[in-house]
Amino acid sequence: MTAPVIVANGLTKRYGEVVAVDDVSLRIAAGEIYALLGLNGAGKTTAIRMLLGMVRPTGGSVTVLGSEIRPGAHSVWSRVGYLVETPAAYPDLTVTENLTVAARLRGLRGRRQVDDVIERLRLTPYARNRARTLSLGNAQRLGLAKALLHQPELLILDEPANGLDPAGVAEIRDLLHELSRDQGVTVLLSSHILTEVARLATRIGVIHHGRLVREIAAVDLAEHVRQRLSVSARDRVAAEKALRAAGFDAIHSEGDQIVLTDPRAIGEPEAVAGVLVAAGCPPYRLAVEQDDLETFFLRVVEP
Amino acid sequence: MINVLATELLKARRSRVPWVTALAFTVVALVGGLFMFILQDQERARSIGLIGTKASLAGGAADWPTYLSFLAQSTAVGGMIVFGLVEIWTFGREFSQYTVKDLLALPTPRVTIVAAKFTVVAAWCLLLTAQLLVLGLLIGTVLRLPGWSTVQVFSGLLQVGAVALLTVLLTTPVAFAACVGRGYLPGVGVMIAAVFCAQIVAALGYGQYFPWSVPALFSGLAGPDQPSPGTLGVVLVVLVGAAGAAGTALWWRQADHDR
Repeated sequence: MTAPVIVANGLTKRYGEVVAVDDVSLRIAAGEIYALLGLNGAGKTTAIRMLLGMVRPTGGSVTVLGSEIRPGAHSVWSRVGYLVETPAAYPDLTVTENLTVAARLRGLRGRRQVDDVIERLRLTPYARNRARTLSLGNAQRLGLAKALLHQPELLILDEPANGLDPAGVAEIRDLLHELSRDQGVTVLLSSHILTEVARLATRIGVIHHGRLVREIAAVDLAEHVRQRLSVSARDRVAAEKALRAAGFDAIHSEGDQIVLTDPRAIGEPEAVAGVLVAAGCPPYRLAVEQDDLETFFLRVVEP
Repeated sequence: MINVLATELLKARRSRVPWVTALAFTVVALVGGLFMFILQDQERARSIGLIGTKASLAGGAADWPTYLSFLAQSTAVGGMIVFGLVEIWTFGREFSQYTVKDLLALPTPRVTIVAAKFTVVAAWCLLLTAQLLVLGLLIGTVLRLPGWSTVQVFSGLLQVGAVALLTVLLTTPVAFAACVGRGYLPGVGVMIAAVFCAQIVAALGYGQYFPWSVPALFSGLAGPDQPSPGTLGVVLVVLVGAAGAAGTALWWRQADHDR
């Protein structure tokens, strides 16, 4: 078994009384696409900055690609590409020049890598444009291009889909999948959009108020999503009364709907229909539904 | 280091700031030339409207020693502002444009990036000084200033160069302020405070102990009755320069970069 690419043990960052990241431990294996999911201000960016050695942890330790991260450690970064928060670029420099600066700082020689990454991120029409003239989406592409320039083994991306249009989001998702699948690149990304993360990540870590409250494999996500039976009847009050009389538990109302989370009701919706017909208030709509992902996320962070 | 220097040079070359600083130093040389032109013949200056009919200009003779002394004094005061702005722009832009985060997790050590920035600033400021000297020689020649003595003029040029070097050293704390304050304004604030305090302390007669007053004393700006900065003054300037550079490098290496 190969060593984990990222190991964080008890990672904590305090700013006075404020605990931005609280005792977060992570182990991310090679080739994984791991998503840190959390609301704005949950501590995702601070955690990422600690993983990148930009912020010194108040407690705990970080190892990236086998190297302990501490002030002055720099050789490991030749194997890591990153994008932190909103992308930034030198406004007076063209796209090509911005990437040339990044390439030189990474010790890369020649134009090949710069030209390749411009083509890969579909920046060719803008290659000679100054960065100040780029749209938000293209600025994000330039930020991603800087992260991918040196073909890193590990990508750390903070909100990589920011500013991209739906086609751009799908394109970056495909790119990250391809890098992970074909080149074994490990990806750690952060996002506050669960639907996007669910499509991309192999594992999700939910971070809330600085704490890693849950880790879920993406394939298991469906198991964590609750089912419910949603019933609509003309006389909602009478229908609800009849269902309670028939022994169905866990009933509540959402607008003009009756929602049952009783496993018996979910497993036998026809029994529910039978009770309502017998009570003289037949349902005009009856459906087994799942929580949407946002509902699931809010349930995890605010139980 | 060569690669990092190349990136810093590219960043500087692509901006308008080098042109603005070159223009500022051109104006300094031209203003000095204008004073010499007026001092050469004040009646002529009045007749073509350069000074008012009742005005007269005091400040020495129109000759090479006076002109070179003016250039040295301008470098001492104007240099602190122009060189300081170069320093503030070079460091502060990374924070104002949020590009600093792209410089923090690289195979290139952060200290190398800081060293490259200081190197480019020093080269830039010394080039500005060279430009000032060349323009000074040209303007002095065009005005046919009297008092040319190769030794004396060479000594005057050396004085301008030395004042520039001392002034460049004194701007490193401004870079430190721009980094710690994460932008241009803290650097500008420290620079203004340094220029202001230098005037006050020199006027009180303690300039030789206050590093930011030393270039002005060295250039003779404070007048002949002021004490020479001497070795102690120069040592203090070097110490300030080293402390500013070391503090900046240490801050880049150790501080929390959370913005």
